[in-house]
Amino acid sequence: MDAALLEQMLLGALLALSVYLPLRCGQLSLATPGFYAVGGYVAALLSTRVAAFAGSGATSPLWALVAEMVLGGILAGLIALAIGGPVLQLRGIYLAIATIALVEILRVLNLNLPFTGGAMGIFAIPQPFEQADGYVLFTLVLLALACWLCQRLEVLRLGRAMAAIRDDELAAASVGIDTPRTKLIAFVASAVLAGVTGALAAHFLNAWNARAGSFDASITTLAFVVFGGSRYWLGPVLGGLVLTALPELLRPVGDLRLILFGSVILLGPLFFPQGLVTAERLRGLGALLGRAPQAP
Amino acid sequence: MSASSDGIAAAAAPLLQVEGISCRFGGLLALDRVSLELVEGEIFGLIGPNGAGKTTLFNVISGLTTASSGRCLWRGVPTAGLGACRLNRLGIARTFQNLRLFESLSVRENVLVGLHHAARAPLLGALLGHGAFRRHQGRLEARAMELLALLELEALAEQRAGDLPYGDRRRLEIARALATAPRLLLLDEPAAGMNPAEKDDLRQLIGRIRDHYSLTVLIIEHHVPLMMRLCDRLAVLNFGRRIALGSPAEVRRDPLVIEAYLGGSGGGQGSAAGEGR
Repeated sequence: MDAALLEQMLLGALLALSVYLPLRCGQLSLATPGFYAVGGYVAALLSTRVAAFAGSGATSPLWALVAEMVLGGILAGLIALAIGGPVLQLRGIYLAIATIALVEILRVLNLNLPFTGGAMGIFAIPQPFEQADGYVLFTLVLLALACWLCQRLEVLRLGRAMAAIRDDELAAASVGIDTPRTKLIAFVASAVLAGVTGALAAHFLNAWNARAGSFDASITTLAFVVFGGSRYWLGPVLGGLVLTALPELLRPVGDLRLILFGSVILLGPLFFPQGLVTAERLRGLGALLGRAPQAP
Repeated sequence: MSASSDGIAAAAAPLLQVEGISCRFGGLLALDRVSLELVEGEIFGLIGPNGAGKTTLFNVISGLTTASSGRCLWRGVPTAGLGACRLNRLGIARTFQNLRLFESLSVRENVLVGLHHAARAPLLGALLGHGAFRRHQGRLEARAMELLALLELEALAEQRAGDLPYGDRRRLEIARALATAPRLLLLDEPAAGMNPAEKDDLRQLIGRIRDHYSLTVLIIEHHVPLMMRLCDRLAVLNFGRRIALGSPAEVRRDPLVIEAYLGGSGGGQGSAAGEGR
């Protein structure tokens, strides 16, 4: 498997975790690609317009990449914080529709703002790594960090509060959980992760335009979580890895590949309604390995 | 002399005052100028036929429903607009008539969610899981198991709450409510679906909990004999109105109560409220 595909898979896993975080709290948000695009533009603009970020050598400095990721995450988080209050009063499918609208608003803004390069977007984003291997290693570290944070959620009061809201929001409020605040934290964390991922992806892809954050991407990232399972962080990670790789691995079958890909997305939930990773299967896996992992 | 009597008056100030609460849903007047006062430490019963507005009153007190008029005072302070979360922090916890457990979580985790506010810990320590945080977690777990033991659920700690039988679910709701360290516990039909032996156990349990945590308990229950034996005072609701208030003995003799329970046959022979004996 080549490094470029592996890198795309890892980025897919990160985006899947971004969709998973609000869902862990019972909130169906499809805003991830919007925040992903915002993070990407932050990186693209800084590294092509600001000399210090572009660096002078063959590769752009690593600190610049990290700084862009931090700034991209912060901007995405601030947008989420600003709109989260009113938007999160919506429930279920209505929240999903509002977040699709947000993704569209951001997409149109990215197309029309004077500094985002219109439909062509921004080109020749400098590379912090000479080869894709560098990206893979860097992204693996980021993904491991994100997974570790999700794992800690299982034993932290914040994670338990999120699970309680997912099960019964009213009962959660009546045992003293500040439900609007908890939902906002999950939404902002999701946006930060998507923004950080976007900043990294913009460098890897070398070019960035408004298509990065489209409605299609909303559906694809949601499919990652539906396919992998939304109860435990391993599910979205698996879903993101597999469903990003699948269209590429199916290239040999030619035109049939999109049909096959669609069938997998369709049949996955049919045979695994809870997704691939469920609490029961995790327990089974834990027994197999001789120790029980922290399953939800 | 007057100073000391003031002191006594302050100490005996009611924990919760419900003042002229009305609640209108469209054309339905679910509560009609209901007033109550709960004194600290008492077990106060709320009885009445189905649809009398008992649960609506619970929802108003616990902040899930906003009253159309009237007000609630918690230790003399109006609670309007506080919401369920803030009211719980003030010390009001409740159970639900139609059971609202966190079904995908284990029995133990349900109680841990109730310990949400006791679980506050510095973020960095919590993330890294260092010693102080683990000791804090250990104390919480011990507290959760203590509550489960009190409700005789400790053997089921690792079961999924959604898989529990009915009676266990009702007790788990009480454990979860107690975990929030309330001063006032609202119990909405805790004995529903229980057999006579279980009901008797529950009655003793509620008394034990009250004594152990020096709680005030407001309880809705249809089973009149249980209420007669358990409660210090009773209020009777019918069609949203409070038609009686007093000790179990007083309420049992009240002609309006007898009429409400027998559907207007005018009292006299065989009062339903009298079946408590």
